Amino acid sequence: MNDYLEVRNLSKSFDGFQLRDITFTLPKGYIMGLIGPNGSGKTTTIKLILNMLKRTGGEVKILGFDNITHEQEAKRNLGVVFDSNYFSDEWKISQVEKSVSAFYENWNTQKFSEALKRFHIQPSKKVKELSKGMQMKLMLACAFSYDAKLLILDEPTSGLDPVSRDELLNILSEYIEDGEHSVLFSTHITGDLERAADYITYISYGELFFSGGKDEFIDGFRIVKGGREELSADLGKKMLGIRNFSTGFEALVKTEDLKQFVHLNVEPATIDDIVVFTSKRGEQYE
Amino acid sequence: MKLIISNISGVPIYEQIKQQVKSAIMSGDLQADETLPSLRTLAKELKISVLTVTKAYTELEQEGFVKNVQGRGCFVLGRGSELLREQLICKIENSLSEAISAARVANLSTEELHHLLSILMEEKTDE
Amino acid sequence: MSNIWKSVKLDFSLVKPYVKTICFTMVLPVIFAAINRSLLTGISFAMCFIAMTTGYTFSITEKNSMERLYGILPIRKSDMVIGRYIFIIIMGLTALIFSLIAHPVILTILGESIGIVDYISAAVIGIFLFALYTVFQLPGYYKLGSIKGRVFMYIPVAGFLITLLLITKSPVGESKLLFTIFNSPVLLMLLTIIFVIVMYIVSILVSIKILKNKEA
Repeated sequence: MNDYLEVRNLSKSFDGFQLRDITFTLPKGYIMGLIGPNGSGKTTTIKLILNMLKRTGGEVKILGFDNITHEQEAKRNLGVVFDSNYFSDEWKISQVEKSVSAFYENWNTQKFSEALKRFHIQPSKKVKELSKGMQMKLMLACAFSYDAKLLILDEPTSGLDPVSRDELLNILSEYIEDGEHSVLFSTHITGDLERAADYITYISYGELFFSGGKDEFIDGFRIVKGGREELSADLGKKMLGIRNFSTGFEALVKTEDLKQFVHLNVEPATIDDIVVFTSKRGEQYE
Repeated sequence: MKLIISNISGVPIYEQIKQQVKSAIMSGDLQADETLPSLRTLAKELKISVLTVTKAYTELEQEGFVKNVQGRGCFVLGRGSELLREQLICKIENSLSEAISAARVANLSTEELHHLLSILMEEKTDE
Repeated sequence: MSNIWKSVKLDFSLVKPYVKTICFTMVLPVIFAAINRSLLTGISFAMCFIAMTTGYTFSITEKNSMERLYGILPIRKSDMVIGRYIFIIIMGLTALIFSLIAHPVILTILGESIGIVDYISAAVIGIFLFALYTVFQLPGYYKLGSIKGRVFMYIPVAGFLITLLLITKSPVGESKLLFTIFNSPVLLMLLTIIFVIVMYIVSILVSIKILKNKEA
């Protein structure tokens, strides 16, 4: 079992929004960042993977199990963290364990209490008494307790301070260290992924823009900067997005087109740059 | 072994790792048969992607500096410093060829070029 | 422990903080039974009130967006739905049993006598009423959620008022078939139970379909 998550031609139609042919694969032992502007379909993709929404087309396999015909088996090894708490806020931590552990054969109470200790979560508290960051860690603690092999996180860092975000990335790096676990991390805070992600899947307005290695993704683009007079219609065609100002311009180009821009300032592009320039809002910069 | 990654140098991270490993081999910080840090542990500690470290280690192996043994780690090969020296000499040859071409264009004579070389080498040793 | 039973326990853990409130709602029907000197009245009120609380699992789930937890757990949608129905039925049966004990006690204290026929018909009608309310409520909650589906909470009230009307008009004498049925307690009980089972099976299948086709 080398590919922990396989998504093929996943599609979903709503009124006014369509997710089309999303295809990507996450192999065992790596972190994949799922990026894209807000509303582009990241959460929809995750809900489709979890079969919380009925898909229009395509196929999803989690650890080799089809997510609809073998929904139960697929979810046994899956841990999920959402951007907000999904337990009853009246529950005490002990009730959380009681309620959730019943569904997982390999739930390890020791692992759960160790995780709580590590995350500084007091077992006597009620869910509503925990801070947002703690609630997120509680969801993680549960996933660790049944040794979920695939962890899916949907915007886990929105609303968290930089310290907590950093903590989470440390936790995730440790989680994949043994090569037997994978992480799918959906976020619009791409700085988090800049270093730690192995793979990137970029969904833009319902369509797959890119899926592959992060280094390859970043290396495939450059930022070019120059003065107004150095801009021409021909050059403009090769730019994926441009920002004009009174003193010049900056634009995103593909590395393969770089020879046409050698006379300009060339800089590496960050994931943020790429997303901003290639999203439709980037076009409005023209 | 010391490994420092810069986010702002513009040099790709895998390249930085390679360069620093090679320097360590050259200077003797890394001896033959020593293991490099485990791929995943290094990725975790430096907070970089596993694939990036994999790329660095794979290329180091392709270039002959290390050997990846499944399940046991990445070993420094004895010929390390020799290989590095060869690579550097190649680099010197290329740079010198470039310098010679430029000298021809600028109409510099062979003596003037030698002279320039001596001055620069003195300056470098002073640094 | 099968997944269905785990689902029942999960629903119970959701509702646990509200158990006291639900218990209090069972006190009022006792009073109504006493006022009307009728076991049937009391049971009808009790089933109406308990049926109004069936939306709790849905509203509590929505309050914390717990449908995401249900989406994560390794359990089939059909098991979740069946588990919820069983939980609701247990709630209803508990309320019924409590009422079938408490109401006769109060009525006896007040000097009313309750025949075995009255007792059995009250029990059977109670089961029927609860089933009638809930087989419409649950698919409604699954489809619309507990907020838009608020109207489904009042189905028991509407149904109850209609029941009261029918009790006072008593059309039993006009149909030969109905006459035969109502005069034979065993037949009545049998038919009711079969009908209740069929209603629940259909309702469960509808709810499962709704959940499997969830759009948003």
